[in-house]
Amino acid sequence: MNGFRKRLTISFFILASISFLIFGRSQNTLIEQIRSYVFDLFIPIITLVDIPRDATSNLSDRVRNIAMVFSDNRFLREENIELKRKLIESTELEIDNFRLKSLLNIKNGTLNTVTASRIVSDSNSPFFRSMLINSGTQANVKKGHAVVNEEGVIGRIINVAVNSSRVLLLNDINSRIPVKFVKNGINVILAGNNSRFLGINFMPEDVKAVNGDLILTSGMGGVFPPDLPVGVVVNVLATGEIKIEPAVNFDRLNYVSVIDYEIANFSELSEGQMENNKPSRLERLKQ
Amino acid sequence: MNILHKGKSSFGIKKILPFITVLFLIIIMVLPYQYKIIANTMPFLTLIGIYYWSFFKPNLLPIGAVFVLGLLQDTLLGSPFGLMSLLLIVAQQFIFFQSRHFLEKNFIFNFFIYIILVIGFGFLSWGITSLYFVVFLEYWEVIIQILLTIALYPIIKLTLSLNNKS
Repeated sequence: MNGFRKRLTISFFILASISFLIFGRSQNTLIEQIRSYVFDLFIPIITLVDIPRDATSNLSDRVRNIAMVFSDNRFLREENIELKRKLIESTELEIDNFRLKSLLNIKNGTLNTVTASRIVSDSNSPFFRSMLINSGTQANVKKGHAVVNEEGVIGRIINVAVNSSRVLLLNDINSRIPVKFVKNGINVILAGNNSRFLGINFMPEDVKAVNGDLILTSGMGGVFPPDLPVGVVVNVLATGEIKIEPAVNFDRLNYVSVIDYEIANFSELSEGQMENNKPSRLERLKQ
Repeated sequence: MNILHKGKSSFGIKKILPFITVLFLIIIMVLPYQYKIIANTMPFLTLIGIYYWSFFKPNLLPIGAVFVLGLLQDTLLGSPFGLMSLLLIVAQQFIFFQSRHFLEKNFIFNFFIYIILVIGFGFLSWGITSLYFVVFLEYWEVIIQILLTIALYPIIKLTLSLNNKS
């Protein structure tokens, strides 16, 4: 009888685990909520346990920075001269761009930085690439928000709790984001594959990628704003497979920004603008 | 009265010590290390904890506790909910089955059983995750995880046994 009861208990827990696996696959709301509560509960404990690692990391960064201060200074001076030259060029281009967009009546989407957050936990697994950040609904973070830093796109929010959120990284096997090639504007889907390099889905057969091609977000889908750096093509295999090195160094992430992007819609155009547009379009159609 | 009270509380702590130590190992696993080699090949620290406690103090780590620890690990790691609880329960049952037959054998033999357990655990986690995502996942990093888990066992065992004695 005791043996039977024991076997029944084992079977119950194994079946419960399998049920969670099956129901969790379809983003079950209850499971997602349980996860959120657990994140919030554990964030302070993880932060506390992380103090020695964080202190050691800060110390080694400080030592490295001191050791490299002279070479960094020379490099930054040279970079500053180059950037000043580029600033003049880009200001001219910005004015041109603004003028042309006004002529075509193109509206940009609105981009808001929701919050800046610290990374408190990492999945550290070969199968899953995600991170926990210490901002949640209290900081207005929502599921689907984009996560970036000064280097480029990091990922997007997939689960939000009150004081924490989970970020699915670009290189996770479940990550898909719409991107474009800078040189020809071809829109493709960037796919993560749990490895260091990212891949491309739905590459048109007549388009050839070459090493050094820059990849930016296309803005399609409305999650990521257009023209954020994503990566650069580093290898094109004979099979046609393209390997992209992410713009962001995922191993050195400390702080990230959560951004909210809203696509401009026609209701945002003023009544006057709509009225002014009508005759010109009609005239063009007549011609 | 005081002595009696002290004795009671120390017994209570000893009862939850396995749960606390495995939970601590889970937290160690999810810290943001920023070193690529650690980041993608974190050893199965919880398996070491489960193996140690199930082998030496099986009564202190019931199946319900292993189930909860597995779910906590899934939540903090971001892995599919239920994956680690399933794997850890299977591992614990394997340990119980083996310990019944081989506990009296020497350390080398027990360590050999541990190696088989870690290899099985690693490839089972790879297999179930591949099935879950319906994709053939890379397995090289799992092999490194397996090797690191085997190499780390003596250190963690020593730490846990020191805790257990104190």
